[in-house]
Amino acid sequence: MSKLGVFDVSVRYGKVPALTDVSFTVEEGERMFISGPNGAGKSSLLKAICGAVPTTHGRIEVDGDMLNGRSPEVIARLGLTMVPEGREIFGTLTVEENLRVGTGIRPDKPAVETDIDEVYQSFPILGERRHTNAGALSGGQQQMLAIGRGLMTNPKLMLVDEPSLGLAPNIVDQVYDTLVNLQNDRGLTLIIVEQSSARAARVGGRMVLLRGGSVVGDGDAAKFAESDLLKEAYFGQNKAEDAT
Amino acid sequence: MNAIPQLFFDAMSLGGIYAMAALGIALIFGVMKLVNFAHGEYIAFCVFALIVPSTDAVAVMFLGKAPAFLLIPTLLLIGAAVAVASEFFVFRHMRNATPVAMMISSFALGFVIQNILLVVFSSRPKAVSLWPELNQPVSIAGASIPLLQLIVILSTLIVVVTLAVLLKRTRIGLEMRAAAENFTMARLLGVRANVVITGAFALSGALAAAVALIMVTQTGVADIRMGGQIMLVAFIATVIGGLGSLPGAVAAGFLIGAASVILQGFLPLEARPFRDAFLFTLVIVSLLLRPEGLFAPRSSKPRV
Amino acid sequence: MAQSHKQKRLSAWSTPLLLIAILLVFTLLVTVLGDKPLARMAAQTLIRVTFVVGLWIFVGNSGVVSFGHAGYMAIGAYCSAWLTLRPQMKGMFLPDLWPFLANAEWHVFPAAVASGLLAAFVALISGAAILRLTGIAASIATFAFLAIVYTIYSSWEGVTGATSSVVGLTRYANQWVTFGWASVTVLAAAWYANSASGLALRASREDEVAADASGINMYRHRLLSLVVSAFFTGVAGALFAHSLGVLNPNSFYLGITFITLAMLVVGGIGSLTGAVTGVLVLSIIIEALVRMERGMTIGETTLALPTGAQEIIIGIIMILVLIIRPAGLTGGRELRLRIGGRGQT
Repeated sequence: MSKLGVFDVSVRYGKVPALTDVSFTVEEGERMFISGPNGAGKSSLLKAICGAVPTTHGRIEVDGDMLNGRSPEVIARLGLTMVPEGREIFGTLTVEENLRVGTGIRPDKPAVETDIDEVYQSFPILGERRHTNAGALSGGQQQMLAIGRGLMTNPKLMLVDEPSLGLAPNIVDQVYDTLVNLQNDRGLTLIIVEQSSARAARVGGRMVLLRGGSVVGDGDAAKFAESDLLKEAYFGQNKAEDAT
Repeated sequence: MNAIPQLFFDAMSLGGIYAMAALGIALIFGVMKLVNFAHGEYIAFCVFALIVPSTDAVAVMFLGKAPAFLLIPTLLLIGAAVAVASEFFVFRHMRNATPVAMMISSFALGFVIQNILLVVFSSRPKAVSLWPELNQPVSIAGASIPLLQLIVILSTLIVVVTLAVLLKRTRIGLEMRAAAENFTMARLLGVRANVVITGAFALSGALAAAVALIMVTQTGVADIRMGGQIMLVAFIATVIGGLGSLPGAVAAGFLIGAASVILQGFLPLEARPFRDAFLFTLVIVSLLLRPEGLFAPRSSKPRV
Repeated sequence: MAQSHKQKRLSAWSTPLLLIAILLVFTLLVTVLGDKPLARMAAQTLIRVTFVVGLWIFVGNSGVVSFGHAGYMAIGAYCSAWLTLRPQMKGMFLPDLWPFLANAEWHVFPAAVASGLLAAFVALISGAAILRLTGIAASIATFAFLAIVYTIYSSWEGVTGATSSVVGLTRYANQWVTFGWASVTVLAAAWYANSASGLALRASREDEVAADASGINMYRHRLLSLVVSAFFTGVAGALFAHSLGVLNPNSFYLGITFITLAMLVVGGIGSLTGAVTGVLVLSIIIEALVRMERGMTIGETTLALPTGAQEIIIGIIMILVLIIRPAGLTGGRELRLRIGGRGQT
């Protein structure tokens, strides 16, 4: 059984379709990138999976459990966590409080303290600033915090929306190193929205390409980085043909 | 000359009541963006819970007869229960409604509660004597002030500190603060929306009960309209304090209390009946100068 | 294309005409079939139409809920009293009026217009301040405005009579006079909603940020709609005064604010048709409830609803509508004729 299954999923905002009949599955421990131009439906897809927007059609399963129609707080209890676009950290809470918000769903309370220490080991800067308000952190630190906060829910499946957004390139490298390390240590299944296919290829993994709310490609990220399919997705059929 | 300490205690005790009422409104606004116009009626409801239901002019004590150690917690529970019930019957069904729709329905709910009180107790104000011994004056710093004023100031402090500890040190407090800042994100992290909202309403209702106790002891009157005036002031305090900011609500409550005591003390005699008009004009002026509130939280600006 | 555009405009204008036709039928029916109390009820209903449609001009177009319009109504009502009461009466009951007002003995019609103008002028001043705010803060500021007006009018002994009632106003506002004003208000509301200002305002209501970016000066349009709106609520105040013949500041506070907002919400804030529908539906329910509060004799026993039951029931209806049908009974749609056939909307 796949870790995550997305079958014929459609999402609409009012009358505007955001996703149309999207299907793919993700295996346990896999790393998958979702790429595509602006407005392709990448964020809508992640939001649909974690229950933040309702689907109009199709079904989404985690370990064979149907997610459709369940609220985000119930889905979070199934071991799925979201690191959203723009981080969305709680700026008026301290760093440590941010980390604790998501621990309410865990039955293993004693492990929470060791996990917090572990996050501080992975991100020493967070440990140093544990009692400062999270709003005072830099963009890169906030991204670390958002990832750490997601980890504190003890997830099996982590969705990360555009982790490189608004960060300097060397910080982005750092973020990806951490994500890959975490995945290797914990056996996480990782789904990352990444607009840069070059970046995805460098990190390595599978890639699903979206355009206009539909899947237009699915395969190894490294291959995509050089294929025409990508240009096609970004610039449309005709332009891609013109270019060749 | 003891006018200055006298003014100070008047301002502090009035401000304390306003601050508590404003906190009740700010708590709910922070968590669910609801401007709860029914809050004043929670206060009135709690006042009438003290007396025997009847339309007679003289109030017979009911819960009011109980000793304080029993009366206070019971009334706080009643306040919490009314607020939670209103959430359960009305606002829970409006989770996807706009803040404006919720605001209007809270206005309607307030009217319903007020008129239920009207049907049961009639519109005549009733004399209620709860703890009259608290109105005895004591002498402090050359000023002779009622004991009750001291108690009000003290209990405001206790309430504010308790609330701060609750929000800062407990799990539900943490979840409330997270939800107040970003509800969707909190839910994505497994925070249960209904638990947080119910918790906020319970706290808000208990605050309304505290205000009710103080008001009824101070004025000695139970009137079905008594929630309206204080609610309006409390609203204004929450707006001036920066909608949703709890420290802002407390500070603005005290500020308005002080302003109204000062206006009362220094306005010429013939202008005094118009005190509230001056007060509300000051409020509009302060909003014009700082539309986001005098003590707005940094994250309150709408993002594009 | 030009043809269909013209048809659309015509069709938009059919809304106020249809609404006026409905009000006319209502007034005629009451006059022909009803007794005196019923005619009085009709006049009250038509005053509420004037008030609620006036309120809608601001709330329906700007999307800002106003709790302050009862204040403009009070201003209009007292203004008409100042202008039309006999000078001897004013000398006795309102001794501090300025000489110009104290000696005024105007005809009722110009007095009603002047009342509207005074309300509009106050709206210009108060709105210039309040409308700098947006959303909920603006709504709460309108509430503060209502409290200011109420405090002044219920304390200014020599000018408003404070909490004691002003009596002796000519009771000229019968169902036909009020029908006339209600019709004018409906026409004005339709005109404003279809004007460039009204259209811009409704576009901005959907999305403040986008409208700001597109260069729509929301502030100016909101202020204009408030001024037009206050004129008609001021007139409604004057009519109200001359329908009961008695004035008291308590008539213009939370009670009327609640009932009129309920009407707007139940009918549907989004459309002019909604405003009129809400008034008619709730007025009929209120009339039924008032009769039940007075008591109904069934056989031997008299059943009477307690005082306050009316507000409880209306409040519950309002909440239910907000939960079940947030856009109101009309769902924000307008009643209109399709002119020119093949009309696909």
